[in-house]
Amino acid sequence: MFTYFLRRFLILCLTLLGITFVTFMLIKTLPGDPVQGLIGERAEQETVERIRKELGSDQPFVRQYRGYLKFIVTGDLGTSYYTNRKVVDDLKAKCLHTFELAFAAMLFASLSGILLGTLMAVTRGSILDRLGLLISAGGISLPVFWLGLTLMLIFAFLIPLLPPSGMGEGELIYLILPASTLGINSAAYIVRITRSSLLEVLSQPYITTARSKGLTKRKVVLKHALKNALLPIITLIGLDFGSYLNGSVLTETIFGWDGVGRYAVEGIMRRDYPVVMGTVLVGAAFFVFINFLVDLIYLYLDPRIRVRE
Amino acid sequence: MRYFSTNNLEVSEKQGSRLFQRSHLRLNWILHLFLTLTAFVPLLLWGCQEKGKQKLPCFLYLRLSSNPTTLDPSLIVDVASANIATKLFNGLVRFGEQMEIEPDIANTFEASPDGRRYSFHLKSNVRFSNGREVTASDFKYSFERILNPQTRSPRTWVFSRIKGAKEYMEGKEQEVSGIKVKDKYWLEIVLEKPFALFLQFLALPPAYCVPKEEVERWKTDFSFHPVGTGPFILEHWRHNLTLKMTANSDYFGNKAKVKGIIYRIIPEDLTAVYEFYSGNLDLLPVPQAEFKRYLTNPQWKQMMKGVVGLNTYYLGLNCQRPPFDNPIVRQAMNYCIDREKILKTMLEGRGILASGPIPPALLTDVKKDFGYNYNPNKAFSLLKKAGYPEGFEIKIYQSSDQESLEILEVVQKYLEKVGVRAQIIQREWSSFMEALNKREADAFWLSWGADYPDAENFLFPTFHSGNWGAGGNRTFFKDTKIDRLIEEAQKTIAKEKRFLLYQEIEKRVIDQAPWVFFWHKKDYVVTQPWVKGVKLYPMPGVDKGTAVYIEERQ
Repeated sequence: MFTYFLRRFLILCLTLLGITFVTFMLIKTLPGDPVQGLIGERAEQETVERIRKELGSDQPFVRQYRGYLKFIVTGDLGTSYYTNRKVVDDLKAKCLHTFELAFAAMLFASLSGILLGTLMAVTRGSILDRLGLLISAGGISLPVFWLGLTLMLIFAFLIPLLPPSGMGEGELIYLILPASTLGINSAAYIVRITRSSLLEVLSQPYITTARSKGLTKRKVVLKHALKNALLPIITLIGLDFGSYLNGSVLTETIFGWDGVGRYAVEGIMRRDYPVVMGTVLVGAAFFVFINFLVDLIYLYLDPRIRVRE
Repeated sequence: MRYFSTNNLEVSEKQGSRLFQRSHLRLNWILHLFLTLTAFVPLLLWGCQEKGKQKLPCFLYLRLSSNPTTLDPSLIVDVASANIATKLFNGLVRFGEQMEIEPDIANTFEASPDGRRYSFHLKSNVRFSNGREVTASDFKYSFERILNPQTRSPRTWVFSRIKGAKEYMEGKEQEVSGIKVKDKYWLEIVLEKPFALFLQFLALPPAYCVPKEEVERWKTDFSFHPVGTGPFILEHWRHNLTLKMTANSDYFGNKAKVKGIIYRIIPEDLTAVYEFYSGNLDLLPVPQAEFKRYLTNPQWKQMMKGVVGLNTYYLGLNCQRPPFDNPIVRQAMNYCIDREKILKTMLEGRGILASGPIPPALLTDVKKDFGYNYNPNKAFSLLKKAGYPEGFEIKIYQSSDQESLEILEVVQKYLEKVGVRAQIIQREWSSFMEALNKREADAFWLSWGADYPDAENFLFPTFHSGNWGAGGNRTFFKDTKIDRLIEEAQKTIAKEKRFLLYQEIEKRVIDQAPWVFFWHKKDYVVTQPWVKGVKLYPMPGVDKGTAVYIEERQ
């Protein structure tokens, strides 16, 4: 068991190292100059050269990368070229906001997805089932940008129930629209996978045994079937949650949510290297960590893995 | 063994309504829960509704599309930061409603006849928001700070013409000899050479007065904790979300008529439109996509105000290599595009046609009777004369922006008619600028916005050969006669004489056609009915926000 954890952890560290290298290499080879964004449209050539020197852009690649690694080890992710604030400070607030949004979206998606998917599997072939399939197809295909603006139109303008955008002073009501927008896509996938996974489990002989023992349908579905059907569902939830934690730039832009997604994209546009490296590193760490957690949950859910290890 | 089937009647089930015998119609408890939740949520929201909409009374709510990068006057390069900084700081002089130079902290000022020596007498009892009084040495400190290499200011050009500035920047001197504190409220500035625009430079953000003790206290964080003398004081700033400033009750000039301003950072245009419709914003710069709708809506049309900005949109032509190294070819380009039609149809007339680089508001008393009209036949004959009867191929670079793309696609069609086959290359901003500076583009779509309201700003940075590349002259245009005329105009203090020189320079520039001159765009804002007194300026970084007021709120 211990070797399982250790192995997983080592792979985690190596993955992160590889990600930093690839990202660093990619962004340095992109055309485009970070200095341009810093100086505006009119500057003397000496100013450009001076700033370039200060940023260390004239140093060889390997030295820049080494310098960056040194930074990370001390917990300092550098200072944004553009805003002159420490990347760590910026990320702290933004990660929290993104976590809020991601968590709310996943909660909404998981609850509604699993609920609806279970209902659909249990009432297979009915009108509810067909309707659910249709709705989930819509949820998968609807583009986030359109969905967000449409939900805003309906719930913030036509029926003035919710604030159109912003984070307010942290009130929950500001979270509803962005979380729904983000969560609908994930919910659609969860509905489908819950339905198919549950259907597969329900067709197993041991379910028939359970029913013939006299257990109620409710107990069979919830206690036995769902638990065993959860494996692929948890994988999907883990993947989606991990990707939401990396920020969702479209939702954040539409709703003015101060999250990591927008921060990263703006950093890329401006070639703000410390910001890009910082967000990629933190985002990758989250993602890898979530997957690590999912692996642990597997251990709990599926005794077969426990025995194998 | 009985096989499990979902469609069987479950006689052994004790629960469940007798009404729904068939399992797929039975309301089991999962469904119950689901329906309860969906019914409960709107009730919950209804109660929360009012809370989300509260606005502070007598505060003006405005929109920013991105977080200001800094509020330190020495570092400001973008429009959003400049617009906020002007409400928090003051300089020696400022721009008035007609963009003329007015006293700000300087009570009186005069320039010597030769235009080298400037003398300023400051008002007394002007205070920073920390309570300390402003004196002439504060200005000396603020100006030297811009030139100090440690500040890393990209705006050294504002003060680089002062006597002793170069030596100070190179570290050879401890102070700038040309900035003299003659007395507590008396400042004198001496320039190396006469420069007609110096007073205008002093109205720009880099020339705002900053308190030394606060700058030293906050260091680089002064960008986020600005302390100035302005009509507003920054109260708090939630980065990327909101920025709140309150009226300064001790302001030395016309005090603000609102209690404060709250800027909401809303990156998406359409979101801002919804916020405006919902009453959460008091003023909205009209996005192009919404322009037609507001223009034709009788209710909102009255609330719209527009001003022609001090800008020029142009197609820059690379003058350093064929085919655009030949002025005749460049003139042909100006003749073959029907810019007026594009302006009318694609931009809904949201601007005025540009005959040359200088916005007409900056050369008011000067007659403009030259420029290019749409004449494709003439364009064709000019191309033939220049040796391109079959036309040629070019690459037009553009920074990724939908509106510009649509305009360029139309331009492409006009060019095709005279045999010019143009390929449009879109790049995002950073790599677009890099490509321009590296002279990769044959032509490019760009605009030039005024740093200060003088025609020189549309001639010197853009056409003087000393400013190739990042300095502003991205067409790498060079004409020694034009260079000399520009330098002479910069030394000419007398306004009428200078304007005549500008007219001559502009005529030559139009003749040489390093640009295809398109238009000067008009900026429109729409205001809520309860917002009054809004004044629009053709340039950013000028509006101190003291004229606007709010009538009783809805």
